[in-house]
Amino acid sequence: MHNDLYTEQELLRQLVQGNHAAMEEVYSRQYRMVSRWMAKMGGNDDDAADICQESMIVLYEKSRNGDFELTSKLSTYLFAIARNLWYKKLQGRQAGVVKIDEGDELNIAANYEDDIKAHQEREIHYKQLDQALDKLGEPCASLLKSFYFNDNSMQQIAADFGYTNADNAKTQKYKCLARLKKLFYSTQVK
Amino acid sequence: MYNKNIWELAEAWVDGSMHAADKQLLDERKQADPAFAAEFRDAVNMLRSLQGSGDHKRFKNALAEAHQSATAQQPGTIVPKTISLVRNHWRTAAIAASIAIITSLATFWIAQHNNNKIASQYSLLRRDLETYKRSQNKIIRDIKEQATVTPQLEARYTGTGFALTNDGYLVTSYHVISGADSVYIQNRDGNYYKTHIVAFNEATDVVVLKVEDKKFRFSKQDVPYSIAKSKKKLGARVFTLGFPQDEIVYNEGYISAKNGYNGDSSQYRLDIPAGPGQSGSPVADASGNIIGIITGKESESEGTTYAVASEAIIDLLNSVPEKNKIRLNAYSKLGKLGREQQIEKMEYYTCAIKVYKK
Repeated sequence: MHNDLYTEQELLRQLVQGNHAAMEEVYSRQYRMVSRWMAKMGGNDDDAADICQESMIVLYEKSRNGDFELTSKLSTYLFAIARNLWYKKLQGRQAGVVKIDEGDELNIAANYEDDIKAHQEREIHYKQLDQALDKLGEPCASLLKSFYFNDNSMQQIAADFGYTNADNAKTQKYKCLARLKKLFYSTQVK
Repeated sequence: MYNKNIWELAEAWVDGSMHAADKQLLDERKQADPAFAAEFRDAVNMLRSLQGSGDHKRFKNALAEAHQSATAQQPGTIVPKTISLVRNHWRTAAIAASIAIITSLATFWIAQHNNNKIASQYSLLRRDLETYKRSQNKIIRDIKEQATVTPQLEARYTGTGFALTNDGYLVTSYHVISGADSVYIQNRDGNYYKTHIVAFNEATDVVVLKVEDKKFRFSKQDVPYSIAKSKKKLGARVFTLGFPQDEIVYNEGYISAKNGYNGDSSQYRLDIPAGPGQSGSPVADASGNIIGIITGKESESEGTTYAVASEAIIDLLNSVPEKNKIRLNAYSKLGKLGREQQIEKMEYYTCAIKVYKK
């Protein structure tokens, strides 16, 4: 059992570092499990894929901050999250109204509520960030996206955006960041 | 350090590439200048958010790729399902088996020892097996009263319904009875009567049922209330009677919005407590006109309840051939009574709905 947990922890470490083999292994195991369960719960394969991917994002976000010690098997944790996410989704589909006489079913997977909440808040945060980026205008939006989302180097960006060198591109980036900050914090206050 | 751009500093700070000397200078400056400290903190947060969002997006894309390769696998490589199905289901099976054992033991025990001790033992059981409260209850009632018609199984769902006519036409929420094998009502005396569906509208969540027994009457007198034909005003005081438990329960509140969930104009939003089992309950205004049927509640907040406006009943009745058999009162006969008397009268025409499913 100790050995198992050790390899699970190792698997998680590789997953968070972006190791594709580790990700594919965890995902395919998880997807098989979730899609089988979803078939029983009235969801289709697309739902299963969505839920499965979202549950792995919850795990990823939680462990990349380094505050996650595995106490159960990866798959156990992921499956609990997936179930919880699905019940939440079901609640949402019924337009936020839970049919009163079926309330008990929705409480089964009330586990890991904090993790899901943190995840949802993060999603909203990133969404607001994307919205602020969209309002930023060009070339700032593309420049920042190129650096932060597509992981391009400043040299590359200087070449792409027609700056004479990386330092000039950097100065431009700082200006863009200042403007983004203004926009972002003004949208957040609402 | 002072000539460096704040973003350059923040970037170095986040990367962890800042020199120790610079770090110290930065700390001193932050201490001396709180405005700078706040700005610096925002800058750091901004950068962390951007990096986090980038990682998040890349991870998402990688997941989508992983999904592609997971589903592109040949079907031959899938592990035989029989073994893993057993493994997946053993918990459910074990729980089901233990519930079956507990239930049958309890039934056997109650049947064997029909004496005074039952009451105390029973209340213990009820605490432990909250869900089985109703079925256990019924077993006891069977033994004690030998009721004439009692369904064999335990009810899967319960709701509330109310009479349209004294001879057995009644209304409840469609979702209470949807997919049912059979629907019974339990009247004020505790007797069960089988019903069939006369008409329903899934969209407005209303169904009209009829008690099959031709001799059935809700009470000696005709239905005393009327069904409102138009919507009541915002703030109107309302009350409801329902069966969240075996006993009838009274609640009161007010119309808190003229439209229901997401502005649905066929509903009201009410500020009134409601719990499981109260779907289908009548909502009446101060003079005893039925203005709606409870249909659901907001899952997030307590006390916010949604009711289908009573016009939905009228519309549904107009669409059925039986409409001539269903005469509704033009006026409520409860208008001049106090609340206790109103409730006393309405109790006869409010019933629990028991839904059976295989």
